[in-house]
Amino acid sequence: MIRTNEDQLVELAIAGSISPPAFKRGPFLPDNDGLSVVRPGMFGYVYNVRVGDPAFGWQGDHVEPGASIDHDDGGVHHALHYLTCMGNKAVVTSGLAAGAEGVVVGEHARILIDFDPEVHEQLCVGDTIQIRAKGRGLKLLDHPTIDLKKLSPEVIHAMNLETAANGKLRVPVAMELPVRVMASGAELNSEYVDQDITSGDRALMQEEGLDALRLGDIVVIHDADHYWGRGYRKGYVAICLCIHGDSVMTGHGPGILTIMAGTEDDIEWTVDPGANLARYLKIREDL
Amino acid sequence: MPTRHNADKLVHVSVMGRIASPTLPGLPAEPYRLDADGKPFLYPTHGSIVYNVSVGDSAYGWLADTIHPGVSIRLADAGANQGLNVLSCVGNVAKVMSGAATGATGMVTGKSGRFSEHVIVHFTKADREKMAIEDKVLIRAAGVGLELPDHPTVKLKATSPELLEKLTDGTDGDGRLKVKVVATAPAHLLGAGAGLVSDGGSLHVQTVDRDALADAGLDRLRLGDVVALQDFDSRYSHGYFRGAVGIGVVGQGDSPRPGYGPGLTLLMTSHDGGIAPLATPGTNLADLFDLRP
Repeated sequence: MIRTNEDQLVELAIAGSISPPAFKRGPFLPDNDGLSVVRPGMFGYVYNVRVGDPAFGWQGDHVEPGASIDHDDGGVHHALHYLTCMGNKAVVTSGLAAGAEGVVVGEHARILIDFDPEVHEQLCVGDTIQIRAKGRGLKLLDHPTIDLKKLSPEVIHAMNLETAANGKLRVPVAMELPVRVMASGAELNSEYVDQDITSGDRALMQEEGLDALRLGDIVVIHDADHYWGRGYRKGYVAICLCIHGDSVMTGHGPGILTIMAGTEDDIEWTVDPGANLARYLKIREDL
Repeated sequence: MPTRHNADKLVHVSVMGRIASPTLPGLPAEPYRLDADGKPFLYPTHGSIVYNVSVGDSAYGWLADTIHPGVSIRLADAGANQGLNVLSCVGNVAKVMSGAATGATGMVTGKSGRFSEHVIVHFTKADREKMAIEDKVLIRAAGVGLELPDHPTVKLKATSPELLEKLTDGTDGDGRLKVKVVATAPAHLLGAGAGLVSDGGSLHVQTVDRDALADAGLDRLRLGDVVALQDFDSRYSHGYFRGAVGIGVVGQGDSPRPGYGPGLTLLMTSHDGGIAPLATPGTNLADLFDLRP
């Protein structure tokens, strides 16, 4: 039994709206070899890519599963990013889908919310979605040195976490990512958005099995310190969540969101290909 | 044999920036940044006229966050600033065009990246004393378009023809371009800047893990040192790629922030290993160009 301080958490509402797809710098992206390509994936609502699906292989760029919501006001934008936690409940509050319930499955430049496929047909760009934000301040009482980031109590209890005989927190992960491929996002603090895997070395993705990564996979990065930023530090351990799809651009690729920061002294992991948020949240019957 | 290039075909254009004021976030009580252990710190950071730090000085030990040696310039308009940042090349001559230091000449030594996007220019300390924030600094920009006919996979960025000639030392037995460097940075120690543009901006050596830094021989870098990047492809933006080799120059000093450290301005990259770094202690802009502090 994982003991937490969840009875002390404050639950509050925060809202954004489904963002319109936009090309801010013209349509072209340079791919790994400099070829200019045009790809969809960010903003709006992605109908056919859902958490649990492969992170690689789409003809898209940074594909954000589900509805991508944001707010024009900078303060609200950051509150959405700093207060929303994975697994938080969301509800549509305007438009044809008003009343439909979804769940937070990622944080990229926008907050990503999964809905049942039957809700898709009713959703519209601009619809407002309200989140019951809960999870800030969450701690594991028996693992006080581990920093939790953006995890709801519901996800914590679904992750099959256990305290090993040596006192470490044992976390099932779908795979381990080598720290040397962690790229874009190193310039940001680890409370804001994600860090991309750089996937430009396509042969390496295949050799190391990284191309089997799925959206929603829980992963570990060894020798990565994610307490206050994201950087190389021997002996540190980051537990992360894959939140968006691959990219054509160098230094970019599947997005990896920090959910736990710790060290070898307090975290160990086991590899379980089923360690995926969609399964933990029971939002897909086919997984 | 000197490395053949197309410098006679380059177009020399003027770009101008104004000496940038330091900026910090406003109240309430948020001037702090966080170090790698979460401790708030408040130090001078990028921008302005830095009176006492110059190219050739240590990149470490200053009570500062990614400090820019000499003078930093930028423009308020984002598009114009992008033109300034991308077209300026290391080794280009700069000239002060307004204020008490009018006529003083200097040299571009680096660029900074996301969140500041300055061009960093060396002037003598005596000239810095006469300068004022907002003074105009004009650069004779030449280097974008520079190519090496004998090394088609070597892409040059922010390299002036003068710098190219000082850094390169012919071709090795495998046909690779020999480039003088003081050290080589392994991919796992390259952090902030990955995924961002390589035609301007900066890519930072990570310095939180001091043992790893010392193991790589990167713990004694000086501002202006030329460094190789191992397994990093910087043709279109920066990212890990086995066998790729890049060359950068230390444009900014160390930082307490995670993911950060001395900032490199990218000079060259070859995704198929067409660059052979040649360990040459003392390969520093201050010495190569005889820059007086």
